[in-house]
Amino acid sequence: MSSTVPSTKSPLSRRAKLSRFDVKASPYFYIAPFFIVFAIMGLFPLFYTVFISTRKWNSVAGDQGVAAAYCNLDNAGDCKGVTSWMGNFQWALSNPDFVEALRNTIAIFLLSSIPQIIIAILLAFVLSSNLRAKTFWRMGVLFPYIIAPMAAGIIFRQVFADETGVVNQIITGLGLPAVSWHANTFASWVAVSTIVNFRWIGYNTLVILAAMQAVPNETIEAAVIDGAGRVRQLLSITLPMIRPTLIFVIITSTIGGLQIFDEPQMYSEGTTYGGSNNQFLTLTQFMWKTGFVSTNDSNMGRAAAISWMLFLLVVVFAILSYILTSRISSGASNAPKTSKRARKAASR
Amino acid sequence: MRYTKLKKVATVGVALITAGVALTGCSGNSGNGGASAGTSDSASTTQQITLTIGTFNNFGYDAPTSTLQGADLYQKYMDTHPNIKIEATVAAKSDDARSSFNTALGTGSGAYDIQAVDVDWMPDMIKNADKLIDLSDVIPSDRYQDWKTQIATTTDGKLIGAGTDIGPEAICYRSDLFAKAGLPTDRTEVAALLKGGWDKYFEIGQQFMAANTGAFWFDSMAATYQGMVNQIEASYIDPDSGDIIALDNADVKAAYDQLTAAAAQSAGLMQWSDDWSAGMKSDTGFATMLCPAWIINNMKNAAGEDFKGWDMADVFPGGGGDWGGSYLVIPTQSKNQEAAKDLVEWLTAPEQQVAVFAAASNYPSAVDAQQDSTVQAKTDAFLNSAPVGEIFANRAAAIDVVPYKGSSWFDIQSKMADALNRVDVDKTTNAADSWSTWQNDVKALA
Repeated sequence: MSSTVPSTKSPLSRRAKLSRFDVKASPYFYIAPFFIVFAIMGLFPLFYTVFISTRKWNSVAGDQGVAAAYCNLDNAGDCKGVTSWMGNFQWALSNPDFVEALRNTIAIFLLSSIPQIIIAILLAFVLSSNLRAKTFWRMGVLFPYIIAPMAAGIIFRQVFADETGVVNQIITGLGLPAVSWHANTFASWVAVSTIVNFRWIGYNTLVILAAMQAVPNETIEAAVIDGAGRVRQLLSITLPMIRPTLIFVIITSTIGGLQIFDEPQMYSEGTTYGGSNNQFLTLTQFMWKTGFVSTNDSNMGRAAAISWMLFLLVVVFAILSYILTSRISSGASNAPKTSKRARKAASR
Repeated sequence: MRYTKLKKVATVGVALITAGVALTGCSGNSGNGGASAGTSDSASTTQQITLTIGTFNNFGYDAPTSTLQGADLYQKYMDTHPNIKIEATVAAKSDDARSSFNTALGTGSGAYDIQAVDVDWMPDMIKNADKLIDLSDVIPSDRYQDWKTQIATTTDGKLIGAGTDIGPEAICYRSDLFAKAGLPTDRTEVAALLKGGWDKYFEIGQQFMAANTGAFWFDSMAATYQGMVNQIEASYIDPDSGDIIALDNADVKAAYDQLTAAAAQSAGLMQWSDDWSAGMKSDTGFATMLCPAWIINNMKNAAGEDFKGWDMADVFPGGGGDWGGSYLVIPTQSKNQEAAKDLVEWLTAPEQQVAVFAAASNYPSAVDAQQDSTVQAKTDAFLNSAPVGEIFANRAAAIDVVPYKGSSWFDIQSKMADALNRVDVDKTTNAADSWSTWQNDVKALA
């Protein structure tokens, strides 16, 4: 790209004008394809979903008008023929499945994202030190990531099978009572989170490791000379310096963690997706069940309503975790600031 | 300072956009499971035509493999029709096939030329009959028993599906476990022993459990319930008004109570789970299970074709019962309707149904096929050489109820399976609490 800046004194030639336009405008042209595709594939469906969520919409029959006002079967007579654009939302909010799915989604998200990031940071820190066969270890942690989530789900379903699974065989072999990995709510959360963690720890480790490599050696050396130990280095130097990467990792795992589907789906036994008591039914699974398994007259409308509420949930959590992350890492980087202030005070 | 604030805003913005992109992947009605339909526009006989067909579980049409029984019908058809190429897709479970077919019907594209449809989805298909083509001009009206044709016929006489198989139910039992418990092992004696209603079945179960063999009487409540509910003519939906009657139906409650009272006899292995498959060949598994014809394919896969112990008795609690069985339908969006019609006619013709039953275990729905000597004489080595052809013929004749399954039947039924699994598999809830949870679930479905 030509970037010769014409002198401001002489009037601009046509050529120079064109070149200036080129400099200013072409970046937008280069970036435009993404936004055009995004508008078609992302933005349009997003808002079309809003429309569907207010309609009585069946996957086969299509649009059948405004959604029916929601009534429980007990007072169904009161609402016969009454329509309301909020009907699908009311249905979801008053459904016990929705509340349980919300509970499970948040629990599984916390059980997967938090250990995932802590372990990833520790692993990355270990991997960034001088190891023999560096590449081998680094690729090793990424290995689970190349396994398809479906495959990982199937493998772990067998590992955690209640009677024939390896985990229970080991537990009972040690003389402990077997854990009902599917029936017990908390145990099933742990099992599903394990599948998520298994796949994502390695990926997050590598992202964090790459950021750690970019921390200038001089800073760390200076800290070492000042007498900082390994833990101090990690907390006071490395973590604050890789803050943008941490924010990226935490926000992506928040978004992913609230939307997990493959893992609980494949973890389900038989055809009871999410467990017979909704032990590990996630919101995405509930949305899928509502839209694609149920044959209700408004199955798509209801699923669209659920997906919008899930969207809001993700937004709220993404903002929360962003605020939390900046708190934590800026809290750590306060240390040099206070010392600077202290120094100033001392010099006064 | 200002710069960092701006950066913060930008980061949040990026986060929101990312969330949006990630979410719309699920929220739009994508999930188009169907493959591309055939490419040719008209069905002249000389033109090359690719027909796509979608089935589930095992229809016995494919070439046989070590885990899949089949009669290699597609190849046979392509050999006699050199201008036709068949591309078949098999979904593991009928639910998977169902959701992608529904999506394809709704969006108007992406369906296969021919789709296999389970009998339980037929009420929905009838409701959307305008999206499927009429087959009455190619399928002879006397090919099937009346009830099989009735399910696929609309009120104005349009035939939307051609029957493939039916699922007459018998009782499969483990003769080795029966011997251990001191029960008769000969299949005619077992049939005599179990003859009667469900109370008789659970009474013998009691005897079996008293012998302390370490095994259980049946595999799971939800599976056994399938057999019971298919004998109730109007279980959840009133056929006349279409209202939900599940909550006040005494027959449903009676079946639930009878089944949960026998909780101790259940192995508590959820159908289609890994533990269920393992239980099929275990000495601490289960001694009996309900056996619709097609399930024998799955039993062979789970236990291994050379496993010895299973046998089948010509008896079913409460008379006869049909579980499953399917139809082939052609969506109007198919671009090769004429060619597809020919293939559907051929696949569901008696000769082909005979070939499928001989190779796999899907029992023919065509009357002529049922009376065919190959079908009637078939024995199955896996089932201790039981005369399966003869037994299923008797079981098919005993089917006297065609259960009505209105449009929310399926939703209510899967909530019922959850209710039974809570008591049976998870053992987290007692029968009474699980029943009231089910009632709330059904109310919330409305």
